[in-house]
Amino acid sequence: MRAIYLTGETVYLRAMLASDKENAAAWYASPFPINATRAEEWLKEAHTDIWGNNKPRHYLIARVTDDEAVGSATLTSRGSRRGMLTFAMAPWRDDADLLRAEALRLIVPWVRDDLELMHLMLTVAADETATVAAAEDLGLQRAARLRGFVARPTGRVDRVLYEALNTPWRVGDA
Amino acid sequence: MRNPIMVGERVYLRALEMTDAEPLARFDAEETDTFMYRGRQPQSPLGYESWLKDVYKVAPPPFVEFAVCLREDDRLIGSMGIGDLDWVNRTGETGSYLAAPFRNGGLGTEAKHLLLEYGFERLHLYAIMSTVFEANTRSSAALAKQGYQSAGRLRWHDVKGGVYQAMLVYDLLYDEWRAARDAWWANQANKQPTVTS
Repeated sequence: MRAIYLTGETVYLRAMLASDKENAAAWYASPFPINATRAEEWLKEAHTDIWGNNKPRHYLIARVTDDEAVGSATLTSRGSRRGMLTFAMAPWRDDADLLRAEALRLIVPWVRDDLELMHLMLTVAADETATVAAAEDLGLQRAARLRGFVARPTGRVDRVLYEALNTPWRVGDA
Repeated sequence: MRNPIMVGERVYLRALEMTDAEPLARFDAEETDTFMYRGRQPQSPLGYESWLKDVYKVAPPPFVEFAVCLREDDRLIGSMGIGDLDWVNRTGETGSYLAAPFRNGGLGTEAKHLLLEYGFERLHLYAIMSTVFEANTRSSAALAKQGYQSAGRLRWHDVKGGVYQAMLVYDLLYDEWRAARDAWWANQANKQPTVTS
């Protein structure tokens, strides 16, 4: 079920499946646990508007080698113009930053060239250096820095906001 | 006062009630400014009632919304709240709306300081953010008076008037807010007429 246009060397993205309820800890975007029963409800609620443009769309991030779920990406958009990307990575993964960075490198070209969103925003913790580097490689521009918005066991870390404008938008007959 | 949660000299904050739906819809209908949002929109009281029915259902909530009322006669003059509440990182984003007739008299700033006191001293948030359209210079000035610091600028946040509009981003830490509030109160005290015996 992996999307061929969202597959990289280490990870790929796919639509969520009912069977994902069994490992919500890997993809559910909260530190508070949910069981399989609640995860099943959540998955159904999250997919009630398949053609809608205004509901967040969730994608599982899985490893290419063994299909293990390692996180999720959520694209929240208003209509077909603006989007915001957020990630939730499996909390036990020491390589979460690298996996997220690779997922970002898959998603951004897709959002820009395939979905053709006009504008994309990304928020990331400043100490997630691989993801930050990927964002900047992809042409996202740092727009804001929120001081201490992320709590870590060792102290507070800034949250940075990136944005990108899809410049090919233009008037067709101009 | 009716069910007050935060009380100032002239205004207080309380939970929004179903009876607020009609005045909130009226505020929208009587909006005079065009620069704050993507465009003015008349809203139905039915829409507000639908929102108010569920607004306090979840605890801890993802956002906290208050009615802003005058102490002298309990009149509703606006609403404000803290959204995007992150209970793990202890952050949130403020938003506020004051009906047009009540702007520019300091009521909004007083209410906002009550809201920030609630956020920092009752919810124990570490940091609070706010965003404002670049064209909304009145709100930017108000945020600066409340201690908010510039955190950046989203250049292409939205389109208005056929042109990309920037959104200014601000953040605020506890000590900055305390200093701003103390300065504001000191300034207010200086404005009071001298009482002579």
